[in-house]
Amino acid sequence: MIGPLLELERVSRVYGEEVPVYALREVSLQIHPGDFLSIVGPSGSGKSTMLGLLGCLDKPTSGTIRIGGVDATALDDAGRTALRGTAIGFVFQQFHLIPHLTALGNVETALLFRGITRTERRKRALDALDRVGLARRADHRPVQLSGGEQQRVAIARAIVTEPLMVLADEPTGALDSKNAAMVLDIFRELQSPARAVVMVTHDLGVAATTERKVSMRDGEIVADERRALAST
Amino acid sequence: MSDLRDLLGVAWAGLAARRTRTLLIMLGPIVGVAAMVGAVGLTESAKGDLKQTLSKLGTNLIVAKAGGTFGQQDPVFPEDAVDRAKAVPTVTSAAATSELSGVIALPSEGSAEHFEAFPVPVQAADLALPSVLQVPIRSGRWLNESDAGGGSRAVVLGAGLAREYGFVPGEIRTIRLDDIDYGVVGVLGPVALDPSLDNAVFLTQWAAEHDFGTEGKPSRLYVRSEEGRTQETADAIPTAISLGGPDEVSTEVPTDVLAASARADKTLQQTALFAGLLALAVGGLGIANVMSISVIQRSSEIGIRRAVGHTRARVGSQFLLEALFVGILGGFAGAVVGVAVVYGISALAGWVVVVSYGRIPIWMGLALAVSVAAGLAPSVKAARLEPLETLRLG
Repeated sequence: MIGPLLELERVSRVYGEEVPVYALREVSLQIHPGDFLSIVGPSGSGKSTMLGLLGCLDKPTSGTIRIGGVDATALDDAGRTALRGTAIGFVFQQFHLIPHLTALGNVETALLFRGITRTERRKRALDALDRVGLARRADHRPVQLSGGEQQRVAIARAIVTEPLMVLADEPTGALDSKNAAMVLDIFRELQSPARAVVMVTHDLGVAATTERKVSMRDGEIVADERRALAST
Repeated sequence: MSDLRDLLGVAWAGLAARRTRTLLIMLGPIVGVAAMVGAVGLTESAKGDLKQTLSKLGTNLIVAKAGGTFGQQDPVFPEDAVDRAKAVPTVTSAAATSELSGVIALPSEGSAEHFEAFPVPVQAADLALPSVLQVPIRSGRWLNESDAGGGSRAVVLGAGLAREYGFVPGEIRTIRLDDIDYGVVGVLGPVALDPSLDNAVFLTQWAAEHDFGTEGKPSRLYVRSEEGRTQETADAIPTAISLGGPDEVSTEVPTDVLAASARADKTLQQTALFAGLLALAVGGLGIANVMSISVIQRSSEIGIRRAVGHTRARVGSQFLLEALFVGILGGFAGAVVGVAVVYGISALAGWVVVVSYGRIPIWMGLALAVSVAAGLAPSVKAARLEPLETLRLG
């Protein structure tokens, strides 16, 4: 078996200096290619902190994070930025689309500064939109799209760079159940032997759709369960 | 290269998306540059006439006056003052006038009551005076050899006096100097370099001596020097005329006064330039202010850009480039507005348009520098934003 795609080794994240507050305490976790996993837990369990660390948006206070074999904790800001750009695709609860850009422009944003020609960038962005079923809405701005469509644009933006891991933060939190189901279906389709899909959620219904469920409480992992999905 | 193109695209899209906001922050550079272009253009154009006049008049006329020291009344030059002045090698021509004191000029009989209240200077003039002054004869003719030889009692009126007397060109008219009738033979054009001559009546030296018993000693000398040697000639004339004697002579170059009056507008120009700079500075503050707010409003955009792999430097450059575009476009628009204002107002005022195009790039550069400087702090702020904080996870 190939090595883990992402590895957390005794990672702690402490806030505050005089009175240290442990958001994460000595957490170890391995995510492998092909994993479709959810990280669940109540508010304050440390899952947002976990997401920040997995996504290279934050640095741990102690411990090591390796992404694709690279020690992310040893990288400076520019190094982590580059790693984010190549290895990770983000999907957020609030979509975070750039309001003045079209759906296509939003997806293209992830391909900027990579030495890709405009034509090629367009083509790839259109392909990504096509994969989430929105190729026909490419010229629409976010305000012209429904919540579900906006989230699908965000997913297209996350996958257009062909990342090793798609990291989603409460991806269905702002959606109605119909759109939520559609978005979860897309996530399931994104799963491939080479890629991991990680969803951070407090919604157990969402967590029930994944093969692997990591439960957190008070900054620690309290359960890491694997099961075959009934529906697939 | 493609990075730069991507960056330009991102910055342009950011500006184009918020047109009203972009226009508002562009107002600073626009108003600033327009004020400077307009201020300098208008003050120069207002002087444009003056400068034209100046070059037409020639800047080489020197006026020498007999100076009265120790309370001497009606100071005069020696009789041969014109010849003495002409002895200065750089002098090209010279003519004298002598003012006759106590001679009362009246346009006609019976008008004494009105005109005695306004004494008219009566000048005995050399025949060369109009040519030295380079002033045309407005109507009729100037005094000639025949007049000077005692052939006739002829006078020429100054342009202002002719108007005062209601003299009609071609009219046969006599005026009275004391009790003697003189025939008006012509009207001298306006003398821009010595407006006091406009109200004078001119007669020949012969008439002055014959009718009023003057000694033919001039009180004022008009001298033309070689081009570009005006000042040294003016300096040499007092010595040449007094020849070491006690006669005090003062010289002045009347165009210097005109040139000074052209320069006097500098104060206005500088005030306006300062106002332009102030507008630019205030505009800069506006840019800094609006962009700071914009960075906060666009924190989600910044966060997502950072998340998808745009470095701090690129996010910062994006905002700096937006400020740069504002500076370039605002400066250019300001220059266009400024030039248009200069042309518009000059057309209304009938001025000769003078636009210092050479200085416009400097002001545009200044607007650009101010805009970029104003965008610096917001750009750094944007670059420093932590994506984790702006994206509000969980």
